[in-house]
Parts: sequence; C-alpha cells; structure tokens
Amino acid sequence: MSEEINNVILDVLAKHTQIDREKVNLETRLNSIGVDSLMMVEIIFDLEERFDISIPDPEFVGQQNKQFETVADVVRVVKDLIEQQTAS
Amino acid sequence: MKRIVVTGMGCISALGPDRREFTRRLLNGESGIGPITSFDPGDSLVRIAAEVKDYDGSVLFPEKQLSQLDRFAQFALVATREAVTDAGLDFKGSLSGRTAVVHGTGVGGQGTQEAGYHRMFALNEKRIHPFTVPKLMPSAGTSWISMEFGITGPAFATTSACASSGHAIGMAMLILRTGMADVAVTGGSEACVTMGTIKAWERLRVMAKDTCRPFCRTRGGMVIGEGAGTLVLETLEHAQARGAKIYAELAGFGMSADAHNLIQPLADGAARAMRAALDDAGLSPDAVDYINAHGTATAQNDPTETEAIHAVFGRHAKKLAVSSTKSMHGHTLGASSALEAIASIVGLNEQTAPPTANFREPDPQCDLDYVPNTARPMPINAALSNSFAFGGLNTSLLFRRY
Repeated sequence: MSEEINNVILDVLAKHTQIDREKVNLETRLNSIGVDSLMMVEIIFDLEERFDISIPDPEFVGQQNKQFETVADVVRVVKDLIEQQTAS
Repeated sequence: MKRIVVTGMGCISALGPDRREFTRRLLNGESGIGPITSFDPGDSLVRIAAEVKDYDGSVLFPEKQLSQLDRFAQFALVATREAVTDAGLDFKGSLSGRTAVVHGTGVGGQGTQEAGYHRMFALNEKRIHPFTVPKLMPSAGTSWISMEFGITGPAFATTSACASSGHAIGMAMLILRTGMADVAVTGGSEACVTMGTIKAWERLRVMAKDTCRPFCRTRGGMVIGEGAGTLVLETLEHAQARGAKIYAELAGFGMSADAHNLIQPLADGAARAMRAALDDAGLSPDAVDYINAHGTATAQNDPTETEAIHAVFGRHAKKLAVSSTKSMHGHTLGASSALEAIASIVGLNEQTAPPTANFREPDPQCDLDYVPNTARPMPINAALSNSFAFGGLNTSLLFRRY
C-alpha cells in the first residue's frame, strides 16, 4: 500500500514536471524539478482526485511553499490524510 | 485635449445599497465580508464573501422585467439610477445620441448560467428558461442601462476579468476625448457569489478563510464580492455649460499587458500601467498622494504590486498612502475598478485616505504605508486606482481634485 502511494505520487509529479520518473526520489526538492506554486495547485488537485482526500491549504499563504519542500513532504501529508480517512 | 470630469456616482455593494452607506462604512474601516448567506456552501473551503445584503429585486423592478434581468444587470441598473440622478441628467432630446454607455463585467450572468445548467444536468429537465441567453450575456448590463435611460449613442460592454470596469471607464474617457459623445455612463457590475463560482475559485487556493487582509503578513488570500459602480463622465465644457457639480477630474488613464502568465502577475506590467496613467495626465510621480491598490491579499499580488509602486514612484513611494479597500467591499471582479474609482474620489473629496481594514501585522515583503485599519485625514490632490487582472491585463486610473 505504502509503495503504491509513493508510486502514484511520483507518477503525478513526473507527469506535471515532465521529468523522468527515475530521476525523482523522496529527497528531491520540488523547486529543483520546476514545481512552482501554480503547478503545485494542479498537482494537489490531481492527488486529491486520485486518493479521494482533501488537502488543506497552508494556514498562511506566505508559507505556501514551505508546506511542500520535498517529495517526502507530499508523501507524508498524503499518507496522513489517507490514514485519517481510514480511521474515521 | 478635452478634459474629462466626473459628475455623478452611484454604487451598490457589501457596504450597502447606495453611495452614502458605501462612503460612511469605507471611511469607518468597516468590512462587509461575512459568512455566505445566499446559499449553503456545503463542504466548500470557501465560506465567506462580500455579499450585497438584504437585497430584494422585486421592490426595484416590475415582475415582467425581472424575468429578463440577471442579478448582475440589476446591480448595474441600481448603481446607474443613483449615478444619473446624482448627475441631474435627463437624456431626452439631442443628449440621448451624444451619450455613451460602457459598462464592464468579468463574468456576466453567472447565476442565470448556473440555474440553466442545474435544470439541465442535475434535474434532467427538458427545457431551460427562454431568456437564458439574453440574461447571461455580459453586455446585458449595458443594454439595460441604454434602454432604461433612453441613451442611444455608442454603447458596449468591456470584459477583462478584474480590470473590466477599469477598461470600461478608460474607453468611456477616450470616447469623450475624441468628441464622439459629450457624456458617458460607465463602470461595472458583478454578481458572482454563486456555488459554481466559489467552487471554481476554491481549487485555485487563493481564497481566504477568515477575511481579506491585504498587505498583511498573515493574509490568507482574496474574498469574492458582488456589486456595481457607475460613474457619469462628461467633458469639462459640457459639465460647465450646464452648471453641473464636479466631483473630480479623470486626468489620466493607463493600460498595459503583462504578456506573461494567465494567473501570476508581473511587476513590470503593473508599473507600465501606472506610468502610462501618469504620462497621460502629464503628472510627475510625486504629484500623487494616494493609491487605491489592486491589493487582493493573495500571496502573489501584494508583494508584486508593492514592487511595481517602488519602481514607478522611487523615493516618493514611502510618502504615498496606499490602501486596499477590497478589505471592506471584497474583490468584486468586474465591478472592482468602478467601486475603487468611487473610493478614490471619496478620498479626494473628503481629503481622507480610506484604510486597509483587517490589518494585523506588516509583511517584510510589503513595506509601504498601507493606512492600516483607520482612515487618515490628509491632503490628497491626485489619486491613482489600480486594477491588475488575471491574464495580465492592467489598468490604472488617475483622478485629480477639481
């Protein structure tokens, strides 16, 4: 399950950034593969649709880019939300 | 070149049904933003808006007319009735053909559109209302104004998202300068607090949860508003010949395109619009005292607009009073330039800079004087009003004391 989630997230990131999936891993910084705040909005939308979750906005827009600095940040937030959903 | 003056103003907004209430609450720093009441926003993340409250179209329009009037066109007429009465004009006789109508909107009949789609796709009804097309067209507001007042000169609508009414006012001014008309009824209208609209905005992730806090470090984004604003413009000679009261001179108009991005703003495009307005008026930057900023309170706009103001005004930037009245009347999209033009003229006439309401703490990226929370009495001889639309279409209107 966990591996599957990673794979879907990497697929989504690779699709939007048009970067070879093999070149992206958990440590990859999102801005290093060209993810800007607009692209992030679309990536979040795709992830919400794929996992049927609702990813909340960061509390302040000034911190928008700090919510997701690396691929691991995205994986963590998505997994937390899926867990919360299964628990409830 | 002919000089153009403002001789009538009217509006309807979250701050109230007319200009008097708008002015009173604007100068008190009262916000019209609150929980959405006109429909249940369900599980939407967006739950607040700057709605026109206690509005009942059936009191203002006969039933037969109402079935042909989208809410945005009703607002256009309400604001225009007030502006025309204020100007003391009657369009009978030769003035009819010498008057122009240019009224903008970002979306047009959104409520009509959604009601039609709901019947068709959700209720599986076979038919939608026969007046769906004439109600939803973005030019309906302009048509209704021309019909109600019998204005038969040049008439059209402008649409450029959040700068729609900025372009409308600018086009009206140019029509008067060229001599094609002597009087112009101009402004903009929007009625987009609908489920479809807020769901669409929600996913852009630029919307505030609590309220609109422009230029503030803890700003959370924009808040959608609705309403309309109308200005009556006249050539100075026409206004003087009839002894009209003059609120202000529309001394300059600037526009530009970013040629950059459909969503992200660009400081250079904003700066070019402001410079063009100053050049058009023949004023130097230090002649400006107050700027009514676009100030949407999104992460992107506020530092970008601040940077653009620094670029245009240099050392004078720090002396300017800059406020975003969207903190009070919300972001009314196609009506925003018109409402903010009125706010700027109120500033000139009252010699008071309207405040940026809901301001908590400064953002290091936004280092100008934003007139936090309390209106400021000060000498204002010239005021600039900015609108920077999605898609990088920018307008800047420069009003001067007359």
